Amino acid sequence: MIAAVDRSASEIDDLDALVRLHWPRVFRFALASLRDPDAAGSVAQDCFLKAYRSRDRFRGECSTEAWLMRIAVNLIRDYARNRRLQFWKRARTSAVDLEAASPWIPDSGASPESGAMAKEQLAAVWNAAGGLSERQRTVFLLRFVEDLDLLEIAAATGMKEGTVKVHLFRALQAVRERIGRSQ
Amino acid sequence: MSQHLSSRQISQWMIGERTPQQEQHVRQCSECGAELARLEAALALFRGSVRHWSDQQIRVPRPLTPTRRSRGYPARPQPLRWALGAAALLVLAAVPIYRNAQDRQRQAEIASADALLLEQVDAEVSRAVPRPMEPLVKLVSWDFSSTDERDENRRDTIQNEEIR
Repeated sequence: MIAAVDRSASEIDDLDALVRLHWPRVFRFALASLRDPDAAGSVAQDCFLKAYRSRDRFRGECSTEAWLMRIAVNLIRDYARNRRLQFWKRARTSAVDLEAASPWIPDSGASPESGAMAKEQLAAVWNAAGGLSERQRTVFLLRFVEDLDLLEIAAATGMKEGTVKVHLFRALQAVRERIGRSQ
Repeated sequence: MSQHLSSRQISQWMIGERTPQQEQHVRQCSECGAELARLEAALALFRGSVRHWSDQQIRVPRPLTPTRRSRGYPARPQPLRWALGAAALLVLAAVPIYRNAQDRQRQAEIASADALLLEQVDAEVSRAVPRPMEPLVKLVSWDFSSTDERDENRRDTIQNEEIR
């Protein structure tokens, strides 16, 4: 245990290595949550600076990654709350994300019909994720984009495992409903 | 288990909550299997699109500033913060003092101007005769004084002669 704590602490001491290793995941999570590349970059940068400055408080109770994700979750929540006032900006970025992300469809040699259907499904999930509550969206993204298990999500969000399940269940119901409507 | 999975059970399945009976049913039921596969495919598409977008947008961050700072070193040196705070307090405290000093100086000027005016008024009020007649008064008083002196001189001369 002590060795693990020392390893985690020394990992955080080397900020450049920490950034190289974890930046993609933190940035991706921020991008999926905020749907704004500039904001995601700012949040990711703040996340690493905050982690570095408060590394004395890190006791190795969870993995470095879970700790970073927890900081990111808090920063994204704060950012999103502040951004609620900027209605015009939110409207603009909501329009941008679907244009930027939806055209991506894996080239599997599928027919045009199934390609169009996949595109519709993708747009439906994006829309459904955008309509989720802040907590539902957070657990949904951590589970289905970052592939974290329930305990890791609980560690990253500070919620109990049962609460994570409830939010995830509701998020899935909303997504399924939206996918069903799109067909 | 012969019944199809309910909407609730499908969502629970996706979270990882599933019973052995449900697993057996899904293996045998093409309808439930298709429903789950459709949902999993949609979520996989979503995951892929997020990762694709992120890979496109990701930029290598510039070296973050704290790497050059020693452990626990604050963002701004502490003495500088204190000095800035003290300077701000000093300025705030000096403003009312400066205003007070200005007020006092103004009041002193007004008071001296009042005193001067009062002196002039007193001087005007205490005149024995009107200003136009002042030369006459001076003339008369000069004559009197000269007469007195002459009389006194004369008396002194007479007394001196008598003594002789």
